[in-house]
Amino acid sequence: MVILSLLILNKAGGLIFQRDFNEGLKKLSSNDYLVLAGTFHGVHAITSRISPVRNSGGGLEVLESDRFRMQCFQTLTGTKFLIFAEPNQPNIDVVVKRVYELYADYVMKNPFYQIEMPIRCEAFERNLVAYIKPK
Amino acid sequence: MQRGDSLNSPFVPFSPNPSIQQGTPTSTPPLKHTLSSSTSSNLRYSSSRKSIYDRHLNRSQRSELSKASFAFLFGEMVQYAQKRVNGIADLEKKLNLHGYSIGQRLLELLLWREGRSAKRETRILGILQFITTTVYRSIFNKPADGLEKSRDNEDEYMLIDNDPMVNSYISVPKEMSQLNCAAFVAGIIEAVLDGCLFPGRVTAHSVPTEQLPAKTVFLIKFDESVIERESVLG
Amino acid sequence: MSATKAARVGEDVWKTRIDKVNAELVTLTYGSIVAQLCRDFEGDYLEVNKQLEKMGYNIGLRLIEDFLAKTNMGKCANFRETAETIAKVGFKVFLNITPTVANWTTDNKQFSLIFEENPLADFVELPDDGRAQNELWYSNMLCGVLRGTLEMVQMQVDAHFASDILRGNEVTEMRVTLVRIIDDELPPGED
Repeated sequence: MVILSLLILNKAGGLIFQRDFNEGLKKLSSNDYLVLAGTFHGVHAITSRISPVRNSGGGLEVLESDRFRMQCFQTLTGTKFLIFAEPNQPNIDVVVKRVYELYADYVMKNPFYQIEMPIRCEAFERNLVAYIKPK
Repeated sequence: MQRGDSLNSPFVPFSPNPSIQQGTPTSTPPLKHTLSSSTSSNLRYSSSRKSIYDRHLNRSQRSELSKASFAFLFGEMVQYAQKRVNGIADLEKKLNLHGYSIGQRLLELLLWREGRSAKRETRILGILQFITTTVYRSIFNKPADGLEKSRDNEDEYMLIDNDPMVNSYISVPKEMSQLNCAAFVAGIIEAVLDGCLFPGRVTAHSVPTEQLPAKTVFLIKFDESVIERESVLG
Repeated sequence: MSATKAARVGEDVWKTRIDKVNAELVTLTYGSIVAQLCRDFEGDYLEVNKQLEKMGYNIGLRLIEDFLAKTNMGKCANFRETAETIAKVGFKVFLNITPTVANWTTDNKQFSLIFEENPLADFVELPDDGRAQNELWYSNMLCGVLRGTLEMVQMQVDAHFASDILRGNEVTEMRVTLVRIIDDELPPGED
């Protein structure tokens, strides 16, 4: 299972976490990532209303190309988890759920983390890396 | 160390030998509740429910709650304290005080539960083993990971916890790296020691290693009176 | 989802996905917090109530993510379902209790939670100073937790205690009212 990178967006669409898990990935500047996050947030909002079919659910969930697969999980609270993986990767749902749990544990339960602010929780990153790239 | 009155606690130091009481809290307020309630308590109790005195103390002995509940409560305790202190040492002191009040109550409960087999510890090793096994097991469901005596200082001992439960989800920001929220547990330990007449100071220190990033050492520094007594006892 | 299904989910999650700790530690920790507040505010119990509620609110904002991550619950269809979810899943998963949902108003916007047991208040007796029993709501943090969690899922509620065994009342009852649905930003999936 190859997860390439993870982005987490807060309710307002601000980028609060970004991490690559593979070498050789294209690195954007931190400003670019912020813009990317904000843009995605807007796109997500549009796609949640664009479908002509009634009750077709939330916004954009999967974006697949021949080079990567992006999956977006939005929680009921509006937080978005974006996972980038290799194409044709099964079971990304499992990964997303686990990342959400790690977020709930090591970010939410950290009294030094301010809500909606960028995530700088050492335990979160440690556990995340251990899960995604076990050695 | 005037703990008693600042905590409004029902703690009354017990010792058959008053000369050992040096170093223990000397001014402790009388039990406010029982003094007034024996004459004129105004407390109301519901007619159907019994009062807390009718419920058995062992009722909740094996009850469990989610670790998350503790984590959120503890986190809020830390946040509340942070707003009212200046600096890390102060914050650790506040956490220590919270732990202290819990330790006092816990000690009474544990000794009561041991019943007839409760042993009054008079030696340092004895009380430290009580803490590393009985006390630790009752709160954290596992004994402490290690106990060491300091080579350099006669009056210092170290209790080791490889992964303190209270720190499980906490990541201290880099600018506060000297803070260890296990000061809370240090307070519990300190209260148990004080209550068993081994006065001293307990502080928590992070000693992370590659394998154990959360490893914490509780440094226990006994008062001189304890060391003197220990040498007298041989 | 029905009450029985909610109960089953709560029981299931509690058994399989929750790390547990000694309840007495939590009880003592909560007690220490309340006692500290009473000292800090010098016996102004009304202020202590407010502070407890505020602390609960802060907790609620974070607790909701943990709740959602552990239970995988989707949106509730209506406020009645929300009530059952709170009582049978929420309280079960965090405090291992299942308060009863009762006393609905006819517009389905207000209900009560009746607590048979309250682990936060185990072995607590309020101070006998003539005021605490009239002014302090010992478990007020729970009201804030409800307010915070529901706000994060777009519901503005008011929660307050109507009675408390610690005060000599017959039951411990919390009254929860839906003030409004927050939809400045439409919840996902809605039209």
